[in-house]
Amino acid sequence: MAKRSASHKTLTPTATADTTDLVDSTYPFAIQGASASQKTNIFEVELGGQAGASTPTIMVLARDSQLATGSLTKDATLNDAALSAPTAALAAPPTIFNKAATLKPRRDTALTLLNLSFNAFGGIVRWLAAQGEEISVVGNTASLGEASLSAFTGGTPGLLGAHMIFETE
Amino acid sequence: MNSKRRHEGYLLVDHRFSPGIAPELAAAVGMPANAGTGLFEAPTYTCSHCQRVVVLNPNRLRPREYCAKCNHYICDGCAKLKAVTGECRTFKQIIEETQEAASRAT
Repeated sequence: MAKRSASHKTLTPTATADTTDLVDSTYPFAIQGASASQKTNIFEVELGGQAGASTPTIMVLARDSQLATGSLTKDATLNDAALSAPTAALAAPPTIFNKAATLKPRRDTALTLLNLSFNAFGGIVRWLAAQGEEISVVGNTASLGEASLSAFTGGTPGLLGAHMIFETE
Repeated sequence: MNSKRRHEGYLLVDHRFSPGIAPELAAAVGMPANAGTGLFEAPTYTCSHCQRVVVLNPNRLRPREYCAKCNHYICDGCAKLKAVTGECRTFKQIIEETQEAASRAT
């Protein structure tokens, strides 16, 4: 499969503690594997501040100890699109979402993978993986089968846009 | 000849047009204290045991934790665990075990 981009145009995340439900539409996105053996690599995560006042924002990409269940849907401002136009769609692609109908995703306490803290008033933060050093989402069960980008407690989260480049093997 | 620098990712934190974040907050979330102001660029590596991304602090004086068995830098947490168990269990192994278990179950 070719690379895809999950992109949230604009959102003010809500600071949420670990192992606590990530409430619908309060985090940019999460990704969940479609099958027990599916592997997806995350190559890049970028956040751009859109706030109109100083707002130190603690954003983390982490594995989830509780996976979202029920209907997994997106905000209207959240997209999952192929980077290359002729990309053929997978029969069972990983799910990009930030709303879950039944169980909400919960960030694992010990499995924070990437800290992307910045000031959403004019700040930009971007992480790129080296080839072969990507973050992997494997399977569709806790805690390897889902990862989320969300705000941790301690800051005052501000308006931001975010994207993540990923590819399913 | 391979260099361990081939494992390096890249982190950009750009606060040139922003008040940035306080050094205390940057340090509290595991980033170098100077990462919160101005333009901060640093190499990163992905721990081969747990996939945590580690920002290479240019001011670090202690040696970086390295696993000779998998020929890769590892994070401080995994180094502590390895010092106790002596075991090198890479995340690639975990992925393979997960996928193999899934294929056997079907």
